Amino acid sequence: MSFKREILEVGYSVPRFDARAKVTGEEKYAIDHYPENLVWAGVKRGGIAHGLIKGIDASAAEALPGVLAVLTRKDVPGTNRQGIVHKDQPVLAGEKVRHRGDPVTLVLAENREILREALRLIHVDIEPLPAVFNPEEALKLEAPQVHEKGNILLRANVQSGRGGEALDECDVVVEETFEVPFQEHAFIETENGVAWQEPDGKIVMIVSSQAPFRDRFEIGHALGIDSGSIRVISPYLGGGFGGKDGATVQCLLALAAQHAGGRPVKMWWEREESFVAGYKRHGVRMAYKMGAMADGALNALHCRLYYDTGAYAHLGGEVMALGMEHAGGPYRIPNTLIEGWCVYTNNPISGAMRGFGVCQVSFAFERMMDLLAARLGMDPLELRIRNALRRGDKNCAGVVQVHSTGIVQCLETMRRHPLWLERESWKLAASSFKRRGVGIAAVFNAMGYGRGLPDSAIAKVELTQEGKFRVYSGVSDMGQGNASAFFQMAGEILCQDASRMELVQPDTERTHPSGSSSAGRTTYTYGNALIKACEALKEKLLHRAALLLMADEERGMALLPGEVHHLPSGRKVALEVLGRVFPESDRISISQFIMPVTQDKLDTGKEFALGFPHAFFSYAAHLAYVEVDELTGKVDVKDYLAVTEGGRVINPQCFEQQVHGGVAQGIGYALTEQVILERGEIMNPCFTNYILPTALDVPDITSLAVETVEHTGPFGMKGIGEVGFNAPLPAIAGAIEDATGIRLTQAPLSADRVLKFQGESDNAAER
Amino acid sequence: MKITFVLNGQEMQIDAPPDRKVVDLLREDLGLTGTKEGCGAGECGACTILVDGESRLSCLMLAVQLEGRRIKTIEGLSDAENGALHPVQEAFIEYGAVQCGFCTPGMVLSAVHLLEKNPHPTRDKIRQGLGGNLCRCTGYVKIVDAVEAAARKVERDIPKPVKDGAL
Amino acid sequence: MRNVLLPRSLSELWDHLRAGSGAAVYAGGTDLLVKMRGGLVIPSLLICLERIEELKGVSEDLGAIRIGAGTTHAELLAHPVIRAHLPVLASALGTLGSPPIRNMGTIGGNICTASPAGDTLPPLHVLNAEVELLTKSGVRRMSVKDFITGPGKTCLQEEEILSAVWIGKPEGHNVHHFEKVGQRNALACAIASFAALLRISAEGIVEKASMAWGSVAPTILTCPEAEKTLVGERISLKRLREAAAIVRNTVRPISDVRADADYRRNVSGNLLLRLMEVQTPDDCARLNQLPA
Repeated sequence: MSFKREILEVGYSVPRFDARAKVTGEEKYAIDHYPENLVWAGVKRGGIAHGLIKGIDASAAEALPGVLAVLTRKDVPGTNRQGIVHKDQPVLAGEKVRHRGDPVTLVLAENREILREALRLIHVDIEPLPAVFNPEEALKLEAPQVHEKGNILLRANVQSGRGGEALDECDVVVEETFEVPFQEHAFIETENGVAWQEPDGKIVMIVSSQAPFRDRFEIGHALGIDSGSIRVISPYLGGGFGGKDGATVQCLLALAAQHAGGRPVKMWWEREESFVAGYKRHGVRMAYKMGAMADGALNALHCRLYYDTGAYAHLGGEVMALGMEHAGGPYRIPNTLIEGWCVYTNNPISGAMRGFGVCQVSFAFERMMDLLAARLGMDPLELRIRNALRRGDKNCAGVVQVHSTGIVQCLETMRRHPLWLERESWKLAASSFKRRGVGIAAVFNAMGYGRGLPDSAIAKVELTQEGKFRVYSGVSDMGQGNASAFFQMAGEILCQDASRMELVQPDTERTHPSGSSSAGRTTYTYGNALIKACEALKEKLLHRAALLLMADEERGMALLPGEVHHLPSGRKVALEVLGRVFPESDRISISQFIMPVTQDKLDTGKEFALGFPHAFFSYAAHLAYVEVDELTGKVDVKDYLAVTEGGRVINPQCFEQQVHGGVAQGIGYALTEQVILERGEIMNPCFTNYILPTALDVPDITSLAVETVEHTGPFGMKGIGEVGFNAPLPAIAGAIEDATGIRLTQAPLSADRVLKFQGESDNAAER
Repeated sequence: MKITFVLNGQEMQIDAPPDRKVVDLLREDLGLTGTKEGCGAGECGACTILVDGESRLSCLMLAVQLEGRRIKTIEGLSDAENGALHPVQEAFIEYGAVQCGFCTPGMVLSAVHLLEKNPHPTRDKIRQGLGGNLCRCTGYVKIVDAVEAAARKVERDIPKPVKDGAL
Repeated sequence: MRNVLLPRSLSELWDHLRAGSGAAVYAGGTDLLVKMRGGLVIPSLLICLERIEELKGVSEDLGAIRIGAGTTHAELLAHPVIRAHLPVLASALGTLGSPPIRNMGTIGGNICTASPAGDTLPPLHVLNAEVELLTKSGVRRMSVKDFITGPGKTCLQEEEILSAVWIGKPEGHNVHHFEKVGQRNALACAIASFAALLRISAEGIVEKASMAWGSVAPTILTCPEAEKTLVGERISLKRLREAAAIVRNTVRPISDVRADADYRRNVSGNLLLRLMEVQTPDDCARLNQLPA
């Protein structure tokens, strides 16, 4: 590797160190591991949304040459239950299937062709049960019960002030219902891993996972094995976005490894299986009522939120809790009643996805702001600025904003920007059959786990015998570039250039538990631990160098690129020398950090065991230039501005990368992406019909950072991985309404919906 | 069956089932895991390779079709002797066009083919040229920046603070 | 494991192409291999045509253009003869799939797949294209219109391949228009598509109109009544709307995972209105910008 010799300094766009190996194809993702003497494992899925398993005929599969084992529920030791918070998901379904992707039989075979054939030969006899496919149906008394304890995973209220009653005193009240579909993560590297069992019984797994440390516990609980006897290695992920948080292949793979006679087993969900079996974003229905006073002050919010969590819990309760915490937007609303139902159905499993419960309500609250602005005769940007949270305000959940709060600055930045100032002339320049509109959205997203669960990380740094600094990362890098951020932070403190730095990706045997790669937390929490570890190591090295250099005090020692100097005498010692003289235990530094939590004592949200409320939020204001074709209804985003506040910016290029990526996924969510479900069956389980944006569908995006200082953050930063996703849908919906007068309340804002509404309004206005 | 072709500049003779998918052959049989599979149906471009200089989807090619061809995978793009990167690869690094990196090999090869056909593409032409390569992480903007820069063969220097990164 | 043959010449092909062999023939594989992955087609033998030079290339012969069926979409898109004389086809090719798909897929494959959404098909209709069908012992020709009989169905017989497409150079048309409606701007299956060849006089009167629609019926749809509505007049929104209403009554679209029938019906008529924008050859060139 030949890096330019420059010191890694925070605040600069240092190119990501992981880019080189990725650009040459050298980087090995989990999917790129093909150990010698491999066995392939695959799963037969029920294929029926709800039913009782009457029998499994695997005799033909077992007899097939090259099939090593066919396993069913009876072969699963332990509880046969996986899950992150609620363990309600079977590793192999025994009595019942609850969604079409429920796994019933696990097959081990010599190669993929034999595996495919064996799976084809297995017949599962399922007696169908009545099924339910939407939350409101599932809440009815007579609805089929997905789980024995009923269909409600979580029912909760978040209130502040006088709740919904305060709507009566408002000068203006607007009411609307919104609906958003299931969304697919669609990472390009699908769910996969390899695992083997060592002679002493230990299971070793290389897996595409956002939570390698927690995976051990999930596997241990599900299979009844000691989680300490499981080693999980998490290479760079080819995308995660929440879909690899929580066991996907892990428990099945560990089970397979136990039956492979010591041979390594590989499981890889190809794209169609990833659609059928993988986790999804919750589809949500939101009924909103919002009221304001004549001067524009928001006064009251009452909303009812129905989250479709599919067949199993995954993180459903936590997703809804976060959505409810954000349901009023980044605004002061003194009176709120937010009611939430998180409901089981026989749809695919909803779990974690970037924007985690918040992107859904963002559609609602931002469109409600536009509706209010129209009713009040106020400019929509001014209405937002007027009500936007400032430090010291209480948010809609009643939590005082103690920490950095930059939404006003984001909106004011937008207000000064040419894209906002020149919007009218741009709109007027629309050509034939095109209508142009501009829409805005103000959004926010909490960082970290919130109360009830320690958001913790443990960082280890080592001076190696070769005189390099090795960072042992505890958090997976799924593309967000946290590994590069750690590189940069460590380099900043230790005053080294990239050629002196190494980084080890998470490995439960070499690095330390640091929580999942999720919730916008990894750079903040691990970064804070890393700073402490680096500073402690630096202090130690200065002392040890003083010993070697016979300096009578540590003052005057300086850690510089490749060596330690004694400034008064000019003597130096190379890092390699320090690396060889001192034993390993004296060359490492381990430190930990837990993200602070809110200290407010709230009298609401009591139903949430964990994940409510949060102390830190990142903010953003987005603006979308949109062109609607009157003949086809097709919506194109022509230009886009994102202004984001995430404390201080560690690396402007990485910051922009996250913003661009969130906006692009948000454009997909806004315009074309939806998991099309018919009685629990995914009708578009492929990229031909699940429409992701291509390079021709995402415009140039202008990304500006508003810098505040987050005093508790490493170098003053906060995570911004999710907030950028939340704004495109409402901004584009607002732009479509601005362009055509059509108010779409159902996502995606597809061409056929636009054309249908346009037709209806044309008919209404017919000469 | 015996198949003879040139792979990354080297003569190869292999024995493979004629209907083996080229992406599987590259990854599993030859250990060249730089070429990725994202969908298996030609819809994502992660499996893009160059066949006689043209971009093709290796998930929709069968082994027998390799016969007599010059194949280039991502592993063959940088200089075999000194490891020097292709200007497109260098630009991807410099311009922040790599996040998770899984789409990157296919994206880079499509960009290489694009620039060979059209050495001075506009941003629109670059987007058209990359229309068959899906990326879920970057939003494409920095990829377009990188390809534009590679086309200009911008001199690479010490990274400077980015001007529009902060107010 | 199944055998895959790679004949280097037509004579080698005839040795292998036997009736009842369960063989499937492909060139680029962008349709067949995807269908095989989905289990929709399970051939016992595959024959790949990509090396047969006799099936490739574009030649001009007096007023006619002959396109080898094995010519890739990319080759056609870049070909000066196609760009100069058949811009409506070039336009469609520019919207087809993506660059690597265009490097692999062939015009012969697009026709034989006979999808109602096939991008080359509406242009081939308005160009009155003919297919050349070859067997070991003989050759026959028929119009593309007659060749495709239903979704995925053609008149191709056993031991026969599609060897070429013949297109008479359009006489004096000065408006060549193609539009494809998809859910995104690349890698899109046509939800509706529209090809038009018009001859407009110096005074702006429509003298000839030839139009075809894709994805709105089991096969490519033409609508002579709509064409008649436009001929003899200037292009106007009034006339286009009249024609559009006729088209909407003629189409037989289905609802599927991409779009519902109402949308397709609505759009099939609306696409006519776009002709307001292409009243001169310059307008045409600007609107139908061809990719590289």
